[in-house]
Amino acid sequence: MAKSLSHAERLIEQTGTDLENGEFPLKILNDESIYHEELRRIFTRSWNYLGHTSEFEEPGDYVRRHIGEDPYILTLDETGELHAFLDSCQHRGAQFCTADKGNTSHFRCPYHGWTYKNNGDLQGMPHMGESYQALDTDDVSLEEAYLDTYKGLIFGRIVDEGPSLEESLGDLTYYLDVMFDITEEGMTVVTDAHRWESDHDWKTSADNFAGDNYHVLTTHQAGFEAENIDRGPWEELPPMEERKGKYNHLAVAEDDEGNYAGSLSLMVSYDNDTLMGYPEKLRDHFNPELSEEQIELFSQSLYYFGTVFPNTTIIHAIQAGGWGGPWACIRKWQPRGPGETEVISWWLVPKELEDDEEFMERSYRGWESLSPGGAFESDDLSIWNGISDSSKSVTLETRETSGNMQQGMDGMSDGLEEPEDPMFGPAEVTEYGGYYDERHSRGLLRAWYRQMSKGRPQPNGDESDE
Amino acid sequence: MNEMSPPSAGGVSPETQREIEQFLYYEADLLDRFALEEWFGLLTEDFTIRAPIRSYTHPGTEHPEFSEDGYYIKNGHTMVRERVTRLKKEYAWAENPRSRVRHVLGNVYVTETDEGYDVINNQHVYRSKGDTADNDTISAQRETTLCDTDDGFRIADRTVYLDDSIVSTDNITLPLL
Repeated sequence: MAKSLSHAERLIEQTGTDLENGEFPLKILNDESIYHEELRRIFTRSWNYLGHTSEFEEPGDYVRRHIGEDPYILTLDETGELHAFLDSCQHRGAQFCTADKGNTSHFRCPYHGWTYKNNGDLQGMPHMGESYQALDTDDVSLEEAYLDTYKGLIFGRIVDEGPSLEESLGDLTYYLDVMFDITEEGMTVVTDAHRWESDHDWKTSADNFAGDNYHVLTTHQAGFEAENIDRGPWEELPPMEERKGKYNHLAVAEDDEGNYAGSLSLMVSYDNDTLMGYPEKLRDHFNPELSEEQIELFSQSLYYFGTVFPNTTIIHAIQAGGWGGPWACIRKWQPRGPGETEVISWWLVPKELEDDEEFMERSYRGWESLSPGGAFESDDLSIWNGISDSSKSVTLETRETSGNMQQGMDGMSDGLEEPEDPMFGPAEVTEYGGYYDERHSRGLLRAWYRQMSKGRPQPNGDESDE
Repeated sequence: MNEMSPPSAGGVSPETQREIEQFLYYEADLLDRFALEEWFGLLTEDFTIRAPIRSYTHPGTEHPEFSEDGYYIKNGHTMVRERVTRLKKEYAWAENPRSRVRHVLGNVYVTETDEGYDVINNQHVYRSKGDTADNDTISAQRETTLCDTDDGFRIADRTVYLDDSIVSTDNITLPLL
């Protein structure tokens, strides 16, 4: 153990040093000891996306979700409060949740029959009067995560350490409002999530969605060449080879302490009629709580693709090439082992439009385009698997090989200007950013380095350097 | 979900059964060989293909195991046309290099309907990819609506009911369905 920890510490330190030069050790994308520490140092104290409030209609509704690799059950109790419990009975640790969603007032462990209310309190167990006479049931309750929500998005963490959810989202809230709070009734999750397993590291895909438009030309060229489908508002823009990254902006947002909170690539048309291809009637439902700048930004938008540190991806977009949308999506890059990820992808629409069949059909196709069955995602997955395969190599470890994320650093990139328009919000925004600037990747890894170099949280919740 | 009705309700003649099985084997061979243009020629113009999301629910809950509004693929004729074109391109990394695909079909159950035939079959689709010993088997039940035309059978509709609730292969491309 001591040996593998020092191996992890060495890679963590190499990341810190490499980042000063815009580089990073490729080995961290598939390394057992790094992964072991990520589960303890990152997923315990970060805000992990768990679900959306629209998934809970009645008291007793529950869904299975994970924090790191730990199985949790997210429930709405009889008083309307949300909880997230570890799926582990306090008697012998058996799992008691046997469906991925449902409704129940109680959870009964299948091993010895201990029963818990949907607020986590122990209700009782068989033969309690004979066998547990001196046990105070108030002392027994399920292990519960700390929850917080922002605009319907429910996040949880194992250790109650560091800034609140809103402080940790920081400047990102401006964009989350635009993406997930654009109408009065808010967004609603439409159906079951797409779920698939992939042999890639969660950091690879978190980084990809954090602002990497640079890959689009190469990875997704086949998707853009569709011939017979209507391209919607994309028709109004010059073709890709002429645009050369214009209209695309990279926004890197900081938390309240000045650290990387998340980032997104956003495409605007500079035309208020674009409205991301939504039907005009969407304007009748705009959320009056949003600022004029936020409404203007949404009106001119074609897409937002972003990542909230560490492993939540946020999307609201109309797909290029006519492959569908507009649709909104929240995605979780669920760690499943070194170099392995389960992807969970939820489809959301503005509640006001959920009965509009023509819109829902288009919106569905956008969501499908970024699924294992989709014309875009399927290309990414093949490539990401290769990253995972090579990153575990002894060569990279022995030679301490560094990958490159230097776009936008001194002398590297042209044309990265900060737009004047206040609609672009509080983040650091650069025009052409998604194509020629890799600040998002450096920011994400710096946030990773910051948490990894803090050490593991202490069992009692205090921070430790050990 | 496609429950089979007892055979007496709609059994077909051994000749029809054989013709339909032969058609399915022929079609599967086109998919295995990535002969997607020829395969596309077997589809009617109102063709739809779907692969619904499968969730993991308690028996007896109201929530259906196969989603009625969520799919990995739900495409009509036009979108399938685009997919066929796309897969031929060098940049379609999902199938470049191509998977080695092998359909094994069984339990072919045919019912005659007003429009033609309702055909249910089980299948294991083997997929091997790249220079590695890793491989995937995609197990599913498939329900196909066939019409009998002057040019032979044509596929009017298809639903693929996957046996996994978490997709465990890289991606679901047309030849795997």
